[in-house]
Formats: sequence, C-alpha cells, structure tokens
Amino acid sequence: MPVTTADRPTLGTPQRPFRRSRENAVLGGVAGGIAIRFGVSERTIRILFALGALAGGVGLLAYVTTWITVRRSGEDQSIIERLTRHEKQRHTIFVIFIAIVVTLMLFHSIGLHQLGSFAWTVALSVIGLFAVWRGTSADERAGIDATISAAPILAHTPTSRRALAARVLAGAVLIIIGLVVLSRVGGIWGAAVPSLLGAITLLGGLLILLAPWWLETVRDLSHERRERVRAEERATMVAHLHDSVLQTLTLIERSAGDEQAVRRFARGQERELRKWLFDPNHAGEASNQVETVSTVAKRIEAEVEDDYGVRVELVIVGDCAVDEHLLAMLAAGKEAAVNAAKWSGAPIVSIYIEVEPELITMFIRDTGTGFDTTQVASDRHGIAWSIRGRMDQHGGRTVVKSELGSGTEIELAIPRRKL
Amino acid sequence: MSDQPRVFLVDDHELMRAGIRAEISGSVTIIGEADEVAAAIDLIGERCPDVVLLDVHLPHGGGLMVLREVHRTNPEIRFLALSVSDASEDVISIVRAGARGYVTKNISGTELIEAIMRVAAGDAVFSPRLAGFVLDAFAGSKGEDFVASLDVELDQLTPRERQVLRLIARGYAYRDIAGELGISTKTVESHVSSVLRKLQLSNRHQLTNWASERDLG
Repeated sequence: MPVTTADRPTLGTPQRPFRRSRENAVLGGVAGGIAIRFGVSERTIRILFALGALAGGVGLLAYVTTWITVRRSGEDQSIIERLTRHEKQRHTIFVIFIAIVVTLMLFHSIGLHQLGSFAWTVALSVIGLFAVWRGTSADERAGIDATISAAPILAHTPTSRRALAARVLAGAVLIIIGLVVLSRVGGIWGAAVPSLLGAITLLGGLLILLAPWWLETVRDLSHERRERVRAEERATMVAHLHDSVLQTLTLIERSAGDEQAVRRFARGQERELRKWLFDPNHAGEASNQVETVSTVAKRIEAEVEDDYGVRVELVIVGDCAVDEHLLAMLAAGKEAAVNAAKWSGAPIVSIYIEVEPELITMFIRDTGTGFDTTQVASDRHGIAWSIRGRMDQHGGRTVVKSELGSGTEIELAIPRRKL
Repeated sequence: MSDQPRVFLVDDHELMRAGIRAEISGSVTIIGEADEVAAAIDLIGERCPDVVLLDVHLPHGGGLMVLREVHRTNPEIRFLALSVSDASEDVISIVRAGARGYVTKNISGTELIEAIMRVAAGDAVFSPRLAGFVLDAFAGSKGEDFVASLDVELDQLTPRERQVLRLIARGYAYRDIAGELGISTKTVESHVSSVLRKLQLSNRHQLTNWASERDLG
C-alpha cells in the first residue's frame, strides 16, 4: 500500500514511516527522507553524506543503498522490490555484479590496487545506480531526467564544432591529469589523497567526454520500453472493458423497460468489475485454486443475485477449505437464500458466515413478509425440509425463526471436522 | 428546521453528489459540497458542519487526508465515510483515522439518513461488512495475541460487543438488535461506540498492519 509522507521535516519531531521524500529531493530524496524521519534539517544530512563520500566513498555507497532499498513516498515498492520481481532482472543484476568484481580483480593484478576501498565503494555504487536506472517508477524517472537535463555541461549534446572541440579537450585534459596523479601515488601524500583526487578527476573527464551521448541512448531506450509497456497495459484494459462493461451496457440499454433485468445486469457487472479491480488473483487461474467457504459463498451470492434480482449482502468472518459437509451446508444456505429472494419480497437478503475453530455457522436473513412456522404451506414445507434434511444428514442443525410481517432468519450450524 | 443536522458533502462524482443530495435533503440541511481534497478542507473548516459525508476515494490524497487535516484544527466535526470499496484496509484505515462510521454507497436513502442522524448524535455506524471486518480483526483473541498486546482491555471485544457485531453482520438494524438481546437501543449504540473506540485505539497487529501501511500506525 503506498504511503505518502510529509513534504518537509518538522524540526525536533521525528515522523514515521521512513520514505524517500518526493518534494524534498535533489536526486533520490534520500537526504530529504531521512531529515523528515528524524526531524532534523535536510542540509545537515546532505553534509553528512558528502563528508561520508570523502571517507573512502562510504557516504556514496550508503546513499545509493538507501536509494534502492527504501520506498519513495507515495509508492508501494522500493526499486529493489520492483527489480527482483522478475527472474530475468535478477539474473542481469547478478551478471553485472560478477562483471564488476572481475574487473576490479583485473585492476588489482595489473597494479592499480592503490585504488583500494574507494574503487570498491564506487563500483558498488555504480551497480546501485544501474539498479536505479532500471527500477525507478516512471514518475521518479521523469524527475531525475529533469535534474540531469538541467545540469550544466553534462547534458547538452554539442551542436557546434567549437563546443564539441571544447568538450573533447576538457575531457581529455582531465583524464590525462587523473591518470598522471594515479600513476604517482605514494610519496609525501601517501596513497589515499592522490588516489582519491586522481579517481575523481578521471571520472570527471570521462563524464564530460561521454555523458551526453550516453544519456541520449539511455533516454531513448527507457522511453521506448515505457511506451511498449504502456501500450500493452492499454490493450489489456481495452479488451477487458470491451468484453464486460460495454457488453453489459448494451444489455442494459436493450432491456431498459425491465427494471429487474437492469438491476441484475448492473449488479452482475459491479461484482465482476470489483473482482477485477480488488482481487489480486483475478488473472484467470481460479481453476487450480482450493475451494474455500468464501469462494463458494461468493458464487452463491452471484447466482442468487443473477437469478432473482435481489441484493445479497454477504459477510464472511474467517475462512477454511470446504469438504462435503460444508458444501452441503452452503447448498442448504443457498436454498434458504433462494427462498428468501423468491417469497419474502424483501429487496435485500443478508448472508452471514462465521468460521470458528470448532463450528461453522451460517445465517440467512430477510426483512420481508415472514411466515407462521407452525402453519407452513405444503410447497414451503418441502423446501424447509430439504434444508433441514440436508443439515441433519451431515450432523448439523437448523433453526428457523420467522414472524409474519417482520421477516425470516434461518440459522445453520455444522461442527468443523479436521481435514 | 434548526434541529436538522448540518451536513457537508465531499465526493468527486457530480452524479453521486446529486443522488445523495436528492435522497437526504428533506431530512438534513446540506450546507456545502466539495469535489476535491483542498477545497473540502477549507470549506469544512469554515462552515463547521455537524456531519461530513466523506467519499473515501478522492484524487490527491483521498478522504483520509481531508479527515486528518480537518481533525487537526476541528476535532469535534464528525465524519461518516461513504465508499464503493469493499477493501478492508480502506475501511479500517478511515475508521481508525477517526471516522464515526462507514457505509457503502448502495445504502438506501432512509438508511443513510438514519446513519447521519446517529453520527450527528455522537454514535457510531457500522455496516454489516465493517462489522465482519472487525470480528475478523479481533478474532482469535484467546491466547495467540496475548503476549504481543500490552493493553488487554483494548485488544479484546467483550462477549456482548461480539454479539452485537454479529447481529449487525447478520443484517439486523439497531432496534432489531435491541429486541433480540432484550436491551435498549441506547445500550446497543453504546456497545457499538465502545467497539469504535477499541478499533481506533487498539494496537492489535492485524489492525496496525492495515493502518501502518497507510501511515496511521
């Protein structure tokens, strides 16, 4: 379930839950989110991250890790949750991870081991950023796109020859400086400072040189993929609306004079749409699901509504798998509901089922005409008998309460057998 | 006229508002309508109605946001939630956030008026389905949650409350329940109000799960 958090931190008041901020974001909204969660200023958090990034890249890694593991405000999945939904995606991530580890080991063996912990954290962060690229929601991606496009130097594809030359020159100079610094590691500065400076300069050079073209490719790719997904979703939706909703509307139009039929079509469509919208298992695999009290009861609700044009108000507490005894009770309950729909004249039939550890009870109630239980007409007597008879046969009990003018309630109960 | 409850209507569907207006306008005074969250918060704060009829599903924040914002400044304004949804987390979270009741939109006009009157009087209104959810959420209270719950009284329903909820779930109106249990309608109302209080204050994990997912925990 998506959660939306506050836009700004309230100083001194921690707010839960922890979500990446939507409004208060430069990149992933991580600092903003932490600030809101702990009730401190977001600037403090950003400075802490920056300092952490200088300390062997730890801040960078922490930032990226938080980015991919924490949900964004208003979204129901974190990036990592979104990515690991599909097997294929998991494989891709694993392969990239292996590739980077191998690269680092190669570096190590050709003598660039001075890069040390910094190289590792940067490498892991790059994997993280790759995950961000693959797994952000469309909404967040649009925000990041805007940020990057607004960045100076990086995002503009050079249009004139002069701009291109300037970019290549600046990039090349930075790369060379970086390599030089890296190759002179040691001496009075020790290893840490030059390797850090060298790596940053090198990365900066590469970015300036390659970023515009890389960004363009990425944008095209993700744009194309997004379009395709959207088209597929739209096709499914259209197919569904056409098959069900449009058909029903046509039926309703054609039987406009028949109040009962119109109500029946509308209720049936409502039920189906509800199932489609709210039931996560609607995707057609119903056949291999275990039948439970609630699935059978919902079917009874639908059948009685369809056949008799009344509204059935079904409430179920608890649930369990059905056996032949339970099926018998539910069938008896359906009989009772059909009775109520046919004879009572009430517009609503209430069915209440409660599954308890030892006992399962079912109540079928209407507020219609009712009848005198001591003097039942012969046809109704037969039906009452078929309810009672079924229940007796399966070790259950039946209680019929009815009063002329105020309705009928039938109570069925059956002991629960351990399967 | 003056003793009619003053009602404010929040729903983003024009047709639905018109339908509700037509059904209830004879028995209550409608003092305003809104079709979006921000306008609703402003107008409700300004006009201080007795009861707000609140659609749970509104774009940009939902009924939950309206309820929370209004209660921040005017905690005395009572809310009756209206929804087409059967999803238990919607129902539970709006009630836990402070709504005095919950009914589905296919309720009849007379039932709706009765529900508004009840909420205006400070009582709670449960639909059969809400009663079912609550029974479900408070089920199995013997033992299994015992360790986790610090406040045993809040985390359990009394047998009487359970009985009342069962009857609501079975489709009984309050006066039928009173007749069935041999108590007064007033007593039925107080049982339901007490269940509402437990629903809002209890920390039972099933409730807090639903609620914390929506930032109410």
